[in-house]
Amino acid sequence: MSKPSDLVQGTLDLLLLKILALEPMNGYAISLRLRQVSGDVLQVSDGSLYPALHKLEQEGWITAEWKPTENNRRAKFYSLTPPGRKHLEKESANWDRLSAAISGVVKLKEA
Amino acid sequence: MRPTHWLYTLPLRIRSLFRWNRVEQDLSEELQYHLEQKSRELVAAGFSPEEARREALRDFGGLEQSKEICRDARRVSYIQDFLQDLVFGVRMLRNSPAFALVAILTLALGIGANTAIFSVVHGVLLRPLPFPKQDQLMMLWEKDKDGTRSNTSYATFIDWNRLNHSFDGIAAISFWTPTIIGTRDAETLTGFRVSSSFFDLLGVRLAQGRNFLAAEDVRGNNFVVILSYGFWQRRFGGDPAIVGKSLQLGTRSYTVVGVLPDNFPSVLSFDPRRAADIYTPLAYDATLPYACRDCRHLRAFARLKDGISKTQAEAEMNQISANLFREYPTEYSASGVILTPLKDYLVGDVQTALWILLGSVGFVLLIACANVANLLMAWAARRQREVALRAALGARRTRMVRQFVTESLLLSLTGGGLGLFLAWGSVVFLHQLRLANLPRLQNVQIDATTFAFTFGVCLITGLAFGLLPAFRASKLDLNESLKESGKSTAGKERHRLRSMLVFADVALALLLLTGAGLMMKSFVRLLEVKPGFDPSHALTLTMSLWGPKSEDAPAVAFYDQVLQRVRAIPGVKAVGIVSQLPLGGNLDMYGIHVEGKTLPNPEEDPSADRYSISPGYLRAMRIPLLSGREFEARDVAASPKVVLVNETMALKFWPGEDPLGKRLRMGDTKGPWRTVVGVVGDVLHRGLDAPHTLQIYLPTAQFTDSTAVLAVRTETDPIAVAAAVRSEISSIDPQVPVSGVATLDEVVSASVANQRFTALLFLLFGVIALLLTAVGIYGVISYGVSQRTHEIGIRLALGARRREVLGLIVGEAMRPALLGALLGLFAAFGLSRLLTNLLFNVKPTDPPVFAAVLLLLVGVALLASYIPARRATRVDPMVALRHE
Repeated sequence: MSKPSDLVQGTLDLLLLKILALEPMNGYAISLRLRQVSGDVLQVSDGSLYPALHKLEQEGWITAEWKPTENNRRAKFYSLTPPGRKHLEKESANWDRLSAAISGVVKLKEA
Repeated sequence: MRPTHWLYTLPLRIRSLFRWNRVEQDLSEELQYHLEQKSRELVAAGFSPEEARREALRDFGGLEQSKEICRDARRVSYIQDFLQDLVFGVRMLRNSPAFALVAILTLALGIGANTAIFSVVHGVLLRPLPFPKQDQLMMLWEKDKDGTRSNTSYATFIDWNRLNHSFDGIAAISFWTPTIIGTRDAETLTGFRVSSSFFDLLGVRLAQGRNFLAAEDVRGNNFVVILSYGFWQRRFGGDPAIVGKSLQLGTRSYTVVGVLPDNFPSVLSFDPRRAADIYTPLAYDATLPYACRDCRHLRAFARLKDGISKTQAEAEMNQISANLFREYPTEYSASGVILTPLKDYLVGDVQTALWILLGSVGFVLLIACANVANLLMAWAARRQREVALRAALGARRTRMVRQFVTESLLLSLTGGGLGLFLAWGSVVFLHQLRLANLPRLQNVQIDATTFAFTFGVCLITGLAFGLLPAFRASKLDLNESLKESGKSTAGKERHRLRSMLVFADVALALLLLTGAGLMMKSFVRLLEVKPGFDPSHALTLTMSLWGPKSEDAPAVAFYDQVLQRVRAIPGVKAVGIVSQLPLGGNLDMYGIHVEGKTLPNPEEDPSADRYSISPGYLRAMRIPLLSGREFEARDVAASPKVVLVNETMALKFWPGEDPLGKRLRMGDTKGPWRTVVGVVGDVLHRGLDAPHTLQIYLPTAQFTDSTAVLAVRTETDPIAVAAAVRSEISSIDPQVPVSGVATLDEVVSASVANQRFTALLFLLFGVIALLLTAVGIYGVISYGVSQRTHEIGIRLALGARRREVLGLIVGEAMRPALLGALLGLFAAFGLSRLLTNLLFNVKPTDPPVFAAVLLLLVGVALLASYIPARRATRVDPMVALRHE
């Protein structure tokens, strides 16, 4: 099974940071949002979502807190930390440069 | 990482570590929530609840793996693993208390001995002196004709100081033994006269008061003293107002100007056990008779200027010395100086011994490691099934190695902790017993550095003896060991490893025992040396006269009175007086100019030990009179000057002639002629291991000292008369301080304190090595035998005789032991050379010692393998056959 997140290392991290930059969310909501925003192009298995979240949390980019959901269940809500926000800015700038460079190469006309 | 970052990550790590359960629960709950939501979504899409649940799990893909990766993300898993390993290790060790006890005690011995010796090496050799830039401090000597170092004289000292450009300054030191008089007992002090720059050159800051002034280093202005911290505490109870007070020293009053700090080492004392109490300015001037150019009784030391090397200074000083030699050819015997770094001068003699001891004790530790490695392997073998089970359940090999290494570190650290106690105990013991007169002994303590050393040794040993068994144990063939009968084929390789351990044990033990044997033999030889007098049943003590009573005539009268009174004490057989006791640590020598045999440069004439003695001294000491006569009451100050010489001197100057009636001068070449009236036996003066020296004896009445040693020959225990002797002396003059009360046996014994100390340590290490080796071989063989009980049973059942089986087992143990002994012999043959300088009258390759050690070790190895072998062959074959 080929996972789109395998394509570029760190892509998933970037996506997660970006999603959390918009609003704090719990894991299940994040998985829904991932599917929603990328259509079915980026399939992230639930099994790799949580390790990625925990890694980001342990690195200090995101922080978590237990809060009740709309239907009054307790869930773990993740949000961006200030260093995480700076990290996101840096990473998305990197991403822009990288994707621009790659699409430049891909669009080269064959001689 | 930016600091703000830590604000977020640190609490997480702490939480992961200390609230491990809570974090785990959170993880489960979080994933549970996800699965529930997912199921609900699927149910909404038309799945049945069970299908939805299954589908959600399937979608997730490996719930446990996910969890494990999440745990790894916490970055503290290795600590948790370690704690788990530790708890597990403690439990395993508690389940095998015998194994744990033997292993820990073995390590405690090995590590403790290493820590103790290291603390001595560190305190004596490695720890810097408490002086700034101590590498710049040099002792400065005149070079003798034979290349040895010699003291210098005041005239030379002045010239050196004036002419050199290499040093910040040069200071001169001479001994001073004033008598303090006061409300308490009169007491003879140990002290130094020092030139005023002495403390400045060392870089010492006084604890109280001030340093000597240059103006006080002048005759007449020199009645000031600086006290050592210890003396200040002892005599004045640390009186905070001591500076400015005056002390009565002999007939003079001296003003205290300062007190030295507590850590100031009495660097220039000959006997480290007798630290200097008091210092006064040198205050010489060139007109004094003892300031002459060939009155060499001053020690000099200097501080190199910044940026000047020892070699540069040596070159300049050699040049200065050559010029002086040219200018005063009859007052120097050779040109040249010797520079010795102060620290080398202080610890010079013991350096080799200490390093060799540290090396030896390292071998003890190696033996301990080999033994524990063997124990661990046997232990690991018993845990084969556990290991196999864990491997089958998916434990990675590195994880299992880590478990084993954690266990061995647990052993080594426990052993090390115990060893630290042992070491601490031995250091306290060393201080209390004062076994040796090691310089800087007071610096020896268990401190942070020693602690770090021990910790390092524990880690290294833990890894050394733990890694091998760990790798072996974790490399098991699963199928083989899960089957109950894996044992009989566990075979060859492990057996070879154990043989290697026996081999190494025996080789190392042989090396150590050879060293111990050589040192013991050398020490015994040393004790067998006849000092030239009879040390049994004799009492000695020192009397110090001062003030007008120390003038020649009253001193002689006082001594006569003491002799008379002491002779009358019951139990006293003979009594005499001498200016310095052989083996007593004093070195009073005078140049000897024999009539008709002087050299063109009288400076090159030899020196002799000089003793001023009373009639009766020779009998009190039992020094034999070989020819001529003893001193008698008629040899007084006004009668013809007479002298006794020892045998060595008679043979050197008058071989084949009769020395009686020959004449000689002593000291300077213009003194009176003294006529030889007798020849006496040699006594050893510098040490039992020293060569015989030239010696002359003068009548006390013709050459009087203010300090004299009383020698009393007694019928029974000499200490029994000590009180009576003291009271007789104080009844004559209560103001005369008496010190150094000891039997002559004690004096001789103290002179070999260092050799005894070294020999004892070597013996101790040898015995430990022997014990460890015996235990090691015993352990290896009994384990091997227990593994083979089944096989032995078959052999016996098939009709093998017990003796044959016994021979088989013992033979298998003895092969590596003998090979080890052979290697040990070769190694000892090569390494014992290092001991050459420590040995007295024993060659480092002494065949009897080598043979004895070999026999001893082979005997011990035989015994250690025979006992378990015999036990094994005593079993009932039927029981053995059923044994699994």
